[in-house]
Amino acid sequence: MSKYDNLNVIVKDKIPVSHLMQSSIEAKSVIGEVGLGNFITEKNLHRPQLALAGYVGLFTFHRVQIFGNTEVNYLNSLTIKEKENSIRRITTFPIPCIILTDGNELDESVLKIFESAKISVLSTKLATTKAFTLLSEFLDDQFSLQATVHGSFVDVYGVGILFTGRSGIGKSEVALDLIERGHRLVADDIIMITKTREALIMGTGTNLVQHFMEIRGLGLIDIRQMFGVRSIRFQKRLEIIVELEDWNENEEYTRTGLDEIPTGIMGVDIMTIKLPIFPGKNITVIAEVIALDYLLKTYGYNASDVFANKLREAIDLKTKNSSNIVENRIISSFQGDRE
Amino acid sequence: MVRIELKVLNRSGLHTRPAASIVKVASKYKCEIELDKDGFVINSKSIIGVMTLAAEQGSILYLITNGIDEKEASDEIAKLFESGFGEI
Repeated sequence: MSKYDNLNVIVKDKIPVSHLMQSSIEAKSVIGEVGLGNFITEKNLHRPQLALAGYVGLFTFHRVQIFGNTEVNYLNSLTIKEKENSIRRITTFPIPCIILTDGNELDESVLKIFESAKISVLSTKLATTKAFTLLSEFLDDQFSLQATVHGSFVDVYGVGILFTGRSGIGKSEVALDLIERGHRLVADDIIMITKTREALIMGTGTNLVQHFMEIRGLGLIDIRQMFGVRSIRFQKRLEIIVELEDWNENEEYTRTGLDEIPTGIMGVDIMTIKLPIFPGKNITVIAEVIALDYLLKTYGYNASDVFANKLREAIDLKTKNSSNIVENRIISSFQGDRE
Repeated sequence: MVRIELKVLNRSGLHTRPAASIVKVASKYKCEIELDKDGFVINSKSIIGVMTLAAEQGSILYLITNGIDEKEASDEIAKLFESGFGEI
């Protein structure tokens, strides 16, 4: 049970075809405004080779249809009559959009058929595979789960750390301190998170707020103006949540770091650290250590596990030798002041 | 001050998890709690301290509690040892 179970998740169920023109494939309509208001309801793409050839069983007509070299060359191998019949057959389905890749073109008479069926036809100069990848990424993002969370989101040594906690506990101050030490602010207060590729949570700020920040008793400040471009970034993968809490003596805080309980956000598990705060505790330095420890773990070194293994070996050795001589010092004897 | 003798009963000794459970219990109490193994004395509220003992099965430890709730602390930690930290 995490407090993110009841996130107000926004999911788009459709986007208008005109949105595709904002994607990086730089698509342009070849028949004016026709069909630009059609809705795309799925992120998958389709290449309608079989449908053009005459088999329309299981035709996924509601997907964006890609006309690459194969489709266009096939159509061009037909007589005018056959070509028009082929197109008429697929236009009986409510296709939202056709995309011509690789700068391919269709005959005027064919475009007329699409126009009268109110099916938009876009064109891009990009090669089919490239357009396919970019368009998939774009649609994947458009149809992904989105939500907003409250906190401060900072890139610390390249690790995306989200600081959460009650208002007034000092999230923004921690972020400010980190920025001062050369780390980068992604967003403060309102963080827009998006689930991408089914396994990652990406975070960014709102277009309005960007890198403005409220510091209590001071008002609004603009981090980008104040600390320069190196102090900010626009997006970052969420990797760690640090929950700042008032120190509570009844709460148990991890001592060994061996049993971590991640937070589930939109079905993705995010490593979570509960950090009690009290006067004199330097959260900034701890945040840096959290990031560095995370990097070490990412590169295969888990300090908690390594220590647990060392301890197990030490106990095993004693069990085997059953000697009572305790050797606790790193060096066996001090022989002068060597170091 | 209460001083009692404790024996490590579980097979794998005071490895990380038992050590963590001792610290967890010890941290609940206000009194000072120390563990003595062969003259090496550590603070039982410190995880590194308890792990440094590297106490194997069969080894004898002395628990010294000193303070307002020394009896309760001593009893609860003794129970932990008797139960073999839930590993027997």
